[in-house]
Amino acid sequence: MSEGPLAGVRVLELGQVISAPFCARLFADFGADVIKVEPPGGDLARSWGPFPNDRPDPEASGIFLALNTNKRGVTLNLDHERGRELFLELVRWADILVHNHQPAQLERWQLTYETVSQVNPQVVMVSITPFGSFGPYANWKGYDLNAYHLSAAGHRYLGKPDREPLAAGTFIADFYGGYVGAAWSFAAYYGRHLVGKGQHVDVSSAEAIAALFTGCQNIGGYVQDGIYERRTGGQFGIAAPAKILRAKDGYVWVMALTPRQWQGLVNAMGNPDWAQLDIFSDMFQRAQHADALYPLMELWSQEHPKEEIMNVCQANLCPTTAVYTVQEAVEHPHMRARNFIREVEHEGLGKVRVLGPIARLSSCGESPVRPAPKLGQHNEEVFGGLLGLSASNIEELRSQGAI
Amino acid sequence: MAALPLEGIRVLNFGTVWLGPVFGQTLAFLGAEVYKVESRKQIDVNRLLPPFAEGIQDPDRSLQNHAGWAGNGSITLNLEKPEARELALKLVEMVDVVGENWAPGVIEKLGLSYERLRQVNPRAVLVSIRPAGLYGPLSHLRTYGVTLSSLTGLDSVTGYVGEEPQSFENAFADPLLGVVAAFTALVALRWRDRTGEGCHVDFSQQEGIMQMMVPHIMDYFFNGRVHGPMGNRHPLGLGAPHGVFPCAGDDRWISIACLTEEEWQALVSAMGNPSWASDPRFRTLSDRVRNIDELHAHISRWTVQFNDYELAHRLQQLGVPATPVLHIADLYHDPHFRQRRTFVEVHHPLCFNETIYGSYVKLSDSQPQVRPGPMIGQDNERVFKGLLGMSDEEFQRLVKEEVIF
Repeated sequence: MSEGPLAGVRVLELGQVISAPFCARLFADFGADVIKVEPPGGDLARSWGPFPNDRPDPEASGIFLALNTNKRGVTLNLDHERGRELFLELVRWADILVHNHQPAQLERWQLTYETVSQVNPQVVMVSITPFGSFGPYANWKGYDLNAYHLSAAGHRYLGKPDREPLAAGTFIADFYGGYVGAAWSFAAYYGRHLVGKGQHVDVSSAEAIAALFTGCQNIGGYVQDGIYERRTGGQFGIAAPAKILRAKDGYVWVMALTPRQWQGLVNAMGNPDWAQLDIFSDMFQRAQHADALYPLMELWSQEHPKEEIMNVCQANLCPTTAVYTVQEAVEHPHMRARNFIREVEHEGLGKVRVLGPIARLSSCGESPVRPAPKLGQHNEEVFGGLLGLSASNIEELRSQGAI
Repeated sequence: MAALPLEGIRVLNFGTVWLGPVFGQTLAFLGAEVYKVESRKQIDVNRLLPPFAEGIQDPDRSLQNHAGWAGNGSITLNLEKPEARELALKLVEMVDVVGENWAPGVIEKLGLSYERLRQVNPRAVLVSIRPAGLYGPLSHLRTYGVTLSSLTGLDSVTGYVGEEPQSFENAFADPLLGVVAAFTALVALRWRDRTGEGCHVDFSQQEGIMQMMVPHIMDYFFNGRVHGPMGNRHPLGLGAPHGVFPCAGDDRWISIACLTEEEWQALVSAMGNPSWASDPRFRTLSDRVRNIDELHAHISRWTVQFNDYELAHRLQQLGVPATPVLHIADLYHDPHFRQRRTFVEVHHPLCFNETIYGSYVKLSDSQPQVRPGPMIGQDNERVFKGLLGMSDEEFQRLVKEEVIF
């Protein structure tokens, strides 16, 4: 067993697909003992893939394998009375319970915080759902896309003004909820002795984005002045340059707002004459003349590879970056130097690459990553070893359909 | 009311702009005593961003700054002066956590490296937040939140399908990673509690966002596939329809996502069973995914007749995952966020009211503390005289000599 910073912290996960499994993995990566409870058919993520060669296999789903490393896995049928009882036994064991089921589902299972806290008043229960545990939309059906667009992030910050607002190309809201849930629930656990008991931590991924990202820089102004802004189509309206531009082999994100950054960029571009024009003298002027500025800059950027542009800009203290594809990001030597991409051995799949923990602690060594559990892999270990059931008991529960 | 879980934890926050202050805010909402260190010598750019309270331009009145910084206290130290750096080290002795997101190299230049901090307080946790971490070939990079996302692959899959990549028009990564950095501080505190030893946390923003890229990363690892911009499509191609559709009115839209047959059938019946929906091109989910553009065109012609909110309510009643696509004003007025008290009005000591976000996570027992945004140096006397026991004379001298400044 690893002796990470969270060794001894007991986490019970009742999670599907992304938000709760990701949250629980953040604990597991630092050495918490995480038991993941799957329904007999498995976490839905096992059917989501992506799969090697696109061949569906519940033991080879990419997101499942990547989001469930370092956990133990058991199966329980919560619709079965004995299954539910065993789950409550695990609740008694746990310090933190992470789940992402809607309030109505928890009520059907009779596993609301009220029940859970009666069984174990010390447990911190974190619910990570699109809309939260209460409020008019609490039981709305919603996937990542729906939660995300309720936050106004797309309408305000992503897409062309005359076209539909966009989501970013991954499950933004689900991951956002997982991160926020980890921080807040771990705080509730860390200070449990001050509070005197566990508590319920209710995370709405839509609300988290709406507050932290979109609301933060917009709501105060809207309430005071009654006006609000919308997406403009990929550049900062008031200051320039700040835009993704074409490079010889892809794209670069070019930003140079302060005088020092702009001077750095001008140096990087080889001091072209046009850069001395009065209309480009400060970031506001440059924004007003963006239609002239960006084509001139692209004459330069299109002639150079993105990595070269990033390097020369950075050397001139201009915070420009290359727009990496996913391949370029993960294959970068930087990833190897930091040991961020890890290999785990999976029976039947061989070596699979997954991601390491989100941070490194100087005085604490790193543990090897353990592969995600196969469906029900730790049933005997947990129900037998931890809960003390006999082999025949476990077999009986299995035949009854509880495990 | 129950205690807050982080009461008694003291934080010295050198964090700047947006990410660093949200790091402090997260801990402060949960009960920690957090002091952001800043200086009038070079006012944090985030304080200079409009709009300002009552339209009066002043670094203590930036409304958007207040929302992101609320919870942090503020003390001023002009770290260009050696005496200020000594005071900073004295404060390090009295805190549990130190946070910073300076550009690479700055912390060493200021003489506040982890080795130095550890000498004065071996139990302190230092959280260093860098674009690409503390070591490795990209560790020298300087970024803003907007340019950071490019290094993660996120921007490469963002944009309209088949068009150029786009990024959020604001630093999407900043506030989120502020929260995540706070989590790493708590992890390190638990390590300290167990071992008696503080530590230096190396937090790479690039890695923080790359975690969110897992679906694409795994498809690349398994199949060598590299995706371009995905629009509003399901990142793993498992939903259709899966998009944003026009509604009646100016710039009004609805998001609809169907991943199951049941959801699709509910949508078809909501649309009144149009004949096109029984076209073989839309028979199974994989048919619909394959012909998603045509599918979306049909659905758009239907949604455009309706009000976004009304249509979302109607679809939800039938079991179709759908939400109105809110804009900023909607966020504030929406009954769901109203009931959850996502945004709250607070009274600022400079005698204006401001609306900021409150506790965006709801705790059943503890009541997070939401205070207005800090004024520059508002806690100077309390910290330098109270905590450090400085005499008034000494305090006045340091203010006059622009050390406490």
